[in-house]
Amino acid sequence: MATGSVEIVYRGVFQKTLAKNICRGIVFAARKQGKVGIAFSRYSDSPERNGIPAKQFAVVADTDEEMEEYLSRYEPDSNDVTIVADDTLCKGIESWAWNGLQPVNRMLKAGGTLLVTSTRSANSLIRDIHRKGEPFNLAVVKGRASFSGMWVYRDDHTDMRLLGALAKVAPHIVTLDSIVAAINEPKKNDLKAASAKQAYDLVASTTVGANQGNDTVPFRFDLPGWRKMEECLVVGARKVKQEVPGWDGGYVPGRNPTYKKFTTRTLRPVINFDTCTKCTICWMQCPDTAFDITPDGYYDANMEACCGCGICEAVCPVANCVTMVNEEAFTDNQSQWRMWAKDKKTYAAWRVERISLPAVRSHGFQHLGQYAEEIANERR
Amino acid sequence: MQEAKEQASARDFTSPQVLEPWTGIKKVAHEEYYTSGHRTCQGCESAQMMRLLAKAAGPRTIVVGATGCMYVANTTYYSTPWVLPWMHTQLGSAGSAATGTAAGLRALMRKGKMDKEPINVIAVCGDGGGADMGLSAISAALQHTQYNLLVMLYDNESYANTDIQISGSSPYGVNTSFSPPGKLHRIMHKHWKKNTAPMLAVGHPDCRYVATVVASNAVDTLNKVRRALSIGGPTFLHSLNPCPKGWDYDPKYSQQIGELAVETGIWPLYEIEDRKLKMYGKSQHIASGVVKRKPVSEYLLRQGRFAHFTQEDIARVQARTDEMWEKWFLPGVIALSGA
Ligand SMILES: Cc1ncc(C[n+]2csc(CCOP(=O)(O)OP(=O)(O)O)c2C)c(N)n1
Ligand code: SF4
Ligand code: SF4
Ligand code: SF4
Ligand SMILES: [Mg+2]
Repeated sequence: MATGSVEIVYRGVFQKTLAKNICRGIVFAARKQGKVGIAFSRYSDSPERNGIPAKQFAVVADTDEEMEEYLSRYEPDSNDVTIVADDTLCKGIESWAWNGLQPVNRMLKAGGTLLVTSTRSANSLIRDIHRKGEPFNLAVVKGRASFSGMWVYRDDHTDMRLLGALAKVAPHIVTLDSIVAAINEPKKNDLKAASAKQAYDLVASTTVGANQGNDTVPFRFDLPGWRKMEECLVVGARKVKQEVPGWDGGYVPGRNPTYKKFTTRTLRPVINFDTCTKCTICWMQCPDTAFDITPDGYYDANMEACCGCGICEAVCPVANCVTMVNEEAFTDNQSQWRMWAKDKKTYAAWRVERISLPAVRSHGFQHLGQYAEEIANERR
Repeated sequence: MQEAKEQASARDFTSPQVLEPWTGIKKVAHEEYYTSGHRTCQGCESAQMMRLLAKAAGPRTIVVGATGCMYVANTTYYSTPWVLPWMHTQLGSAGSAATGTAAGLRALMRKGKMDKEPINVIAVCGDGGGADMGLSAISAALQHTQYNLLVMLYDNESYANTDIQISGSSPYGVNTSFSPPGKLHRIMHKHWKKNTAPMLAVGHPDCRYVATVVASNAVDTLNKVRRALSIGGPTFLHSLNPCPKGWDYDPKYSQQIGELAVETGIWPLYEIEDRKLKMYGKSQHIASGVVKRKPVSEYLLRQGRFAHFTQEDIARVQARTDEMWEKWFLPGVIALSGA
């Protein structure tokens, strides 16, 4: 007599099909065990937007009554397992109607398991994951985040591996046998089953103590409930300009303080101010108005606003002046220009170290045949 | 003296603002009137188009926006990226909302209930809201020549906000939620893209300004917006906006995909001012024969929405594009030819 729930936190659109496949696998496997299962995505995340964190859920129960009782809540907020399909989400997410940064383990039960796909060590991930105040398990399925797009799926078996690992960390929800049985329907697929079994064998789990992890306090803000909203639901406009100390003569645009978007980012631009020609193109082409114009006329990508699309790197005419670097390399959102203006040598060393970490990920479709080539290379 | 002043201001508020063109990228104003903090996809060129539109129009502007991504993604629970006053209007009613707003402002000013000054009125709609559902309302707006307003159609070639369905602006053969390629029928969408801007220009002889734009060509876009707002009367801009989600490409290529649309001849850039057609940017070089069009495959094969295309499909798109430039009565613009 029990229910079990799995939350999948993933990158909107890029991992939508992946999350759907995992949820579907859980539900089918549960049925193989004579349980009831249901999968759903959050209405409020729809329509998904590229990169913006989204959630899907799979709930499994022994009986229909238990399932109905469980589903009477708005969204599962105490999960047995939270699957994190991209490790950069470990820094936290701006979840719909959450009003701030939600720690990625916030909706995980005490003693539950955070199951992350990553090439990083558990310790390096714990650096990013917020302190929970209660112990939980961290399990890592080795592999890089699998991203594809709306129409072409990158079938690299990440879905199968996460299902296999889930059976290991939460056998009370689904067993490996039922996962394999579900994979083999409607058509037997030995390769996929092997991927699930391999992940089952390899997944490693560690306990994270109540006080271990990122101890920064996630930002929060209050939004008015409907009783406190302005007449006609008017929302105050943004300011055209912000006055920022030490920024005289430059220009910092006003920004939406209650939706920042930086948790969308998996890569961030690192700028070489020594070679920048101040041509303005990055500033001009950034759809998120992320660039602050510095007092000395440079363009500083503001890390509270940047969503990591990579356009600035693609349009910059100076070779290697803007380099997209995996979020793993950073622990804060400090201004790069301030760091550079203070001490150019230290900044140069910092920059070189950062860009030496290759951005081993893409944001979906770049050309025909790319996914197949990449998967073949990874297997090698 | 007092009377002369009143007369002058009466003229002022019925005539449009004068927005001089910016002569180069370094002359562009720093001020942003649509700013950070919108919940659009990474690399959303429709958002970039909103940014350019607002920047070009400046602070004395009201924007009304029809339902679509540029409404939903910009209204995350009780928050906004707009610096300008912005209001939502129904999906098919950008044209009527623009006319109504312009008429309302004029009435309030005439009655002395508002300070008399020219205020830019811009209505924004998607291709679903503008080229399909709201076409008649835009037509009506372009007929009401006594009002100064701009209708901006931001075209992402689908009903994007509801997860990418076909619109009249969707290109031939494209994969959408309504046209998934199958084993038996590969091409599920067989219509050619609707040619909205020329249709509106030709059909409304008193409309003084119609132009096509693309965000990758930022300075020209800014100046076309400024021209459209300065010339007076109702005007229309049609922008092509690469949509990394629906077109399925890595968002970092947004600017390049926009450029390729122009360079392959798929998206011609032109303005029609007082019934005179002028190609501009790279389209002008293509039209005058200085530059050759790039093959359409360079554009198509970089987008997952065309991943099911065979050589035959690519050849078909190439042939229709060639026809556009080689056979049309006005190359790239009007699809008529002599008998
Ligand atoms: C009358 C009406 N019909 C349907 C809808 C549902 N709907 C909301 S947004 C949208 C898509 C609009 O497409 P488009 O105008 O191209 O804008 P986009 O979302 O692509 O930016 C639809 C169909 C609606 N809001 N109102
Ligand atoms: S990656 Fe560059 S272009 Fe994209 S949001 Fe960040 S600063 Fe802007
Ligand atoms: S595009 Fe490159 S060179 Fe130009 S201002 Fe930006 S960083 Fe500097
Ligand atoms: S679906 Fe397309 S238009 Fe809509 S927010 Fe995403 S990129 Fe922009
Ligand atoms: Mg659209």
